[in-house]
Amino acid sequence: MISVADLVKEPLIPGNYYAADAYVQGDFETGLIENRKGARLIALPDILLQAIYAGLDQEVGQATGVVLFNCGRWWGKNFYRRFVEEVSEYYRRPLAEMEMVEFLQCLKECWKTHGWGTIDLDVGFYQQGFLVVKTWDSPFAAAAPKNTGQPQCAAEAGILESFFSQLTGRDLQCVQTACETLGAANNLFVLGLRERVEPAKAWLQEGQDHDTIMERLCRAQAT
Amino acid sequence: MHTELMNLYYKAEENYLSNVDIKVFRHHIESLRQRLSTYEFLRDHEIEIFQPVADALQKQYPTQNPQTLEQVLRQAIALLRYAAMAMLLNNPEFLQHRLLEWLTEVVNAHQTQTLWRSCHELLSARLKEMLTDSEQDLILPLLDHAQATLVGVPAVVSVQS
Repeated sequence: MISVADLVKEPLIPGNYYAADAYVQGDFETGLIENRKGARLIALPDILLQAIYAGLDQEVGQATGVVLFNCGRWWGKNFYRRFVEEVSEYYRRPLAEMEMVEFLQCLKECWKTHGWGTIDLDVGFYQQGFLVVKTWDSPFAAAAPKNTGQPQCAAEAGILESFFSQLTGRDLQCVQTACETLGAANNLFVLGLRERVEPAKAWLQEGQDHDTIMERLCRAQAT
Repeated sequence: MHTELMNLYYKAEENYLSNVDIKVFRHHIESLRQRLSTYEFLRDHEIEIFQPVADALQKQYPTQNPQTLEQVLRQAIALLRYAAMAMLLNNPEFLQHRLLEWLTEVVNAHQTQTLWRSCHELLSARLKEMLTDSEQDLILPLLDHAQATLVGVPAVVSVQS
């Protein structure tokens, strides 16, 4: 016999913590935006993102990707800490005890509300030890130079590498294998143990596409 | 603040509101009063509304794991709470953003669509018993919309095999 009186005793029946209208609070007078916990948020205008890409290209040239990747890693480290703190406080459970689908929903909504586009996870390669992350409508890709022959979402790759390394407690590597700046419909990122994902970088240089890279990674894994 | 009332406040910046505007204003106040009383009713009768739904659901699915049933009921309770607030604010987007965008994938992953369908039918029937016609008109469309988002629109014609 289910007692509704007992069910409603629970103090909180949670919904979407990252709902944009609740999560992002702004004050016109001070010009500040903050999240629902009162932490400051920063808005990056398109023109600034474009300037970052152009400026880095001029200053460090080929190393632009590495610089952005490391920025992303640093960003991801703090992003993970805040994400865990906020989500486990709101849902009143440590992240480890949350269901996979709830965690995923939180990450997707969080990504979207922060204006980083849309994110989805493909766990189809789980058995082989890889995770494929798909993002689209990325503001980073929109601001990046187009058709350079190499994926441009280094900052996102850094964020994902750092985020999932901390989440799994393993040293993971993230390589971007498809990019909106190269005409692909989505940005695709492969995550896995560092030594296993490493060959993907060389295949990427050869100009192989995502499907070929995944096939080769899985084949290498099987042997 | 309600958008309709906000618009009227802006309109009244330099002059008195016209008779038509006053009529609109009065209409919104009337509607707000009714929404508020419906909200209070739903809040005060939460257990009364849901206990028969829970009992009937258990009867319909005697072999179902009680934890799954509890989970669906808990989500349905949350749904009615969010829907009630959306009704009070006269803002269906509130329900969409605060709950449905999050819950839809969860329901999909748990594959509880069939349970949800039954739960929605039972809840709608229960609310029809307890609310007046005009109160039903305020809350039921929101629940129907939620149902369509969560499990898809039911087929208009069912084909018997």
